[in-house]
Amino acid sequence: MPQNETITGLGLDEYKYGFVTEDQPVFKAVPGLSGDIVRQISHHKEEPEWMLDFRLKALDVYYSKPMPKWGGDLSKLEDTLDEIYFYLKPQDQMERSWDDVPQEIKDTFEKLGIPEAERKALAGVGAQYESEMVYHSLKEQWEEQGVIFESIEDGLAKHPELFRQYFSTVVPTHDNKFAALNSAVWSGGSFVYIPKGVKVEIPLQAYFRVNAERMGQFERTLIICEEGAEAHYIEGCTAPVYSTDSFHSGVIEIVVKKGARFRYTTIQNWSNNMYNLVTQRALVHEDAKMEWLDGNLGSKLTMKYPSCFLVGERAHGEILSIAYAGDGQHQDTGGKVIHAAPHTTSQITSKSISKGLGRSSYRGLCKVYDGAEGAKSNVECDALLLDEQSRTDTYPYIEIDENTASIGHEATVSKVGDEQLFYLMSRGLDEAEAMAMIVRGFIEPVARELPLEYAIELNRLIELEMEGSVG
Amino acid sequence: MSTMTAGPAESTLAAADFDTLAGGLTEPEAIAVARAAAWERFTALPWPTKKSEEWRYTDLTKVGFEALTPVVPATATAEALSADVREVLGRSGERAGVVVLREGRVAHLELEPEVARSGVVLCSIRDAADRHPEVLRRALFEVQPGPAEEKLWALHLALLGGGYFLHVPRGVEMPAPIHAFHIVERAGTLSSAHSFVYGESGARASVIDEFLSDDLDAETVSLHGATITGEGGAGIEYVALQRFGRGVKRFSTQHVAAGRDSRIVTFNVTLGGDLARTDVTSRLDGPGSDSEMLALWFGDSDQHFDHHTLQHHAAPHAHSDLLFKGALTDSGSSVFRGLIRVDKGAQLTDAYQTNRNLLLSEGSHASALPNLEIEADDVRCSHGATIGQVEDGQLFYLMSRGLTRRQAERLLVFGFFDEVLGRLPMEGVRARVREAIEEKIGL
Repeated sequence: MPQNETITGLGLDEYKYGFVTEDQPVFKAVPGLSGDIVRQISHHKEEPEWMLDFRLKALDVYYSKPMPKWGGDLSKLEDTLDEIYFYLKPQDQMERSWDDVPQEIKDTFEKLGIPEAERKALAGVGAQYESEMVYHSLKEQWEEQGVIFESIEDGLAKHPELFRQYFSTVVPTHDNKFAALNSAVWSGGSFVYIPKGVKVEIPLQAYFRVNAERMGQFERTLIICEEGAEAHYIEGCTAPVYSTDSFHSGVIEIVVKKGARFRYTTIQNWSNNMYNLVTQRALVHEDAKMEWLDGNLGSKLTMKYPSCFLVGERAHGEILSIAYAGDGQHQDTGGKVIHAAPHTTSQITSKSISKGLGRSSYRGLCKVYDGAEGAKSNVECDALLLDEQSRTDTYPYIEIDENTASIGHEATVSKVGDEQLFYLMSRGLDEAEAMAMIVRGFIEPVARELPLEYAIELNRLIELEMEGSVG
Repeated sequence: MSTMTAGPAESTLAAADFDTLAGGLTEPEAIAVARAAAWERFTALPWPTKKSEEWRYTDLTKVGFEALTPVVPATATAEALSADVREVLGRSGERAGVVVLREGRVAHLELEPEVARSGVVLCSIRDAADRHPEVLRRALFEVQPGPAEEKLWALHLALLGGGYFLHVPRGVEMPAPIHAFHIVERAGTLSSAHSFVYGESGARASVIDEFLSDDLDAETVSLHGATITGEGGAGIEYVALQRFGRGVKRFSTQHVAAGRDSRIVTFNVTLGGDLARTDVTSRLDGPGSDSEMLALWFGDSDQHFDHHTLQHHAAPHAHSDLLFKGALTDSGSSVFRGLIRVDKGAQLTDAYQTNRNLLLSEGSHASALPNLEIEADDVRCSHGATIGQVEDGQLFYLMSRGLTRRQAERLLVFGFFDEVLGRLPMEGVRARVREAIEEKIGL
């Protein structure tokens, strides 16, 4: 059966963003990591003293922690880390309007297919090109409402009190080795503050690309959603294909206060030589609701487990995760929910597709502490295998210390059924179309949550990967 | 035949060397060499810590192995059946044979003459070592446990001498189960026993291992291993009913190998002891093989029960179905960590894994880690795990009929267990297990 041809026909594994734009970084540190590099980064960013201390302490923590032995294969990463540039600064200053954005970078966005008209509709676009925000606009009425959407650097410079109050409180430095690394060398990312009761209806978007070879990207995002506020933040990434391994290690911290709702959407489509090791965590207070929508299509190895710490009564956490592991890719993804207060609820839905030598692993934690009365959690994982060589794993951890909790976990593994294919083909579809339709149907419960109106380019990424040339 | 009741000279495990453990025993070269190698491995390996995934929830370093007195059983003796054993047997229906082991040493062994005439062999492991050293060596000493289990398995093999050997020849169907009693009497000891069950093509066998002791006043460890092998088309039912008293810590490692079109059922019931760790590995070696893995546990006081399972699909067209259910009260805790592994090429695998837990008290806690590793694509695999409590509506109904809360709760637990009990094919075995559970949960 010419199944492989069919799958190739889908264009699932064709990397569509493998273009390289010539660029001239303004400052480029030497490769490798040291206390001097950290000092340089802090100096270039004109940071306060406490941040330099914070970074240097984090560097020690990073050195003291062993390389994780679980999850994906990190054995080659240590060599890679010696060759990575830990900091690049492409431009000296923040751009104010679209006209000021360099042509080079505009070209990059052009290739990603963000139509000009869409940009106008997009409320705030924080575009991270290499390590720093280069483009950042925010609609006037939001500024009036007191919404802050800045680069993380400007967040620190302009709102030092607010920044210091929350920074590193959700993901402490010693949380894991890569959180420590990020804490030492972070650069770029967003700072978002939604004041009490403010509802931001149009999603906040940060689009960023990694563009220089062997460059590490350590974005750091801090989001505070005050009581009763509502917002949606979208982060999407694509990266050009390079021959040597590259590395991305972000830290995302979110505080969702009483009665607030926050959704964070990531579509990750790094090139297939990228290590993507990210710590994403939200602290969810009383009656608040946090949703992670996490799509992982690219990279060589992704280890990413968006987390909700449900610390207030009736807090709700939701994680929707979709992973596609093509040839040579390992998507080790999933989600964590920690129930630390009564009547907290959570739902994790994970869909993964493996093809060729690809491997997708669901890894998740559901922890219910003693006293989290009536906590409820449900986890569903479905895996689809597209051919004989692909692999899928499921590693859920369920730890329950509270007897009134109600916890469920279910997982299924299946292949695209011959009967399903046969049926669709008997209705006049060719094999590629039939396959695409089945895959679309499989991911639909997650894909339908994507904000189509405002993020066409994000959907384009997922649709191109999944559906390819079949129309 | 000598009538030694204790083995060689005794000392603590810390002070023991292999010669003192093996002193006075004569055994075939192949076994002696393999045991000595196992002892060497045991002494060389470090104890696994909570850092390893396999021991994440059970702290082995808190078990005082070094201070225990290892017991290597000598030759079998022929004691009369004790009153307690006779009493259980009297209520357990028909049987094909009885084995009584004390600290692993075979104290009594009988096989119905008719069954013996059909070619079934039932003897002590020590006799089997004399008669079939190669069979035993291959079956036991060539098992390769995972790195985190290796230390305990090496200790089990080094102490090997206790246990029984059951061999059912081609096409022979045993009419009734073998009932074995593993009795631990001496506090402070470390003893080990092995259940060896082998069914040739088309054979049918049923075995129930019952583990018992009084409440002991010093930490006591009982190691147990089982190898259950079915050749083509064999049908084997294996039940381990653990109802040790307090003070006993129990570690059981069970290896199932299922040949072509064979069907093997294992059923672990864990009720007793302070700490019980049960590892069950089912290897589906032959196409069309079928492994059913069942377990029930009820933990109270501060009992801790830890279960690890592996459904290893090495051949295509095989089926495995695991159903583990546990209920906990007081400060009881339990762990279920299961893995379905489907090798490349094991197409048309059909594998299921279900773990359900009931928490009856505020202090109880349960962990569930149902894992999958799938390397073939044409498979049907699913797993599910739940942790919850008895339903309020049901509880209310029963209490409105005059039951106390405790009675209602226990009755619901029994109903929760019934789905698993119903899967045991032999009625006599089912009745015995049900009785033991009733006794434990105090219906």
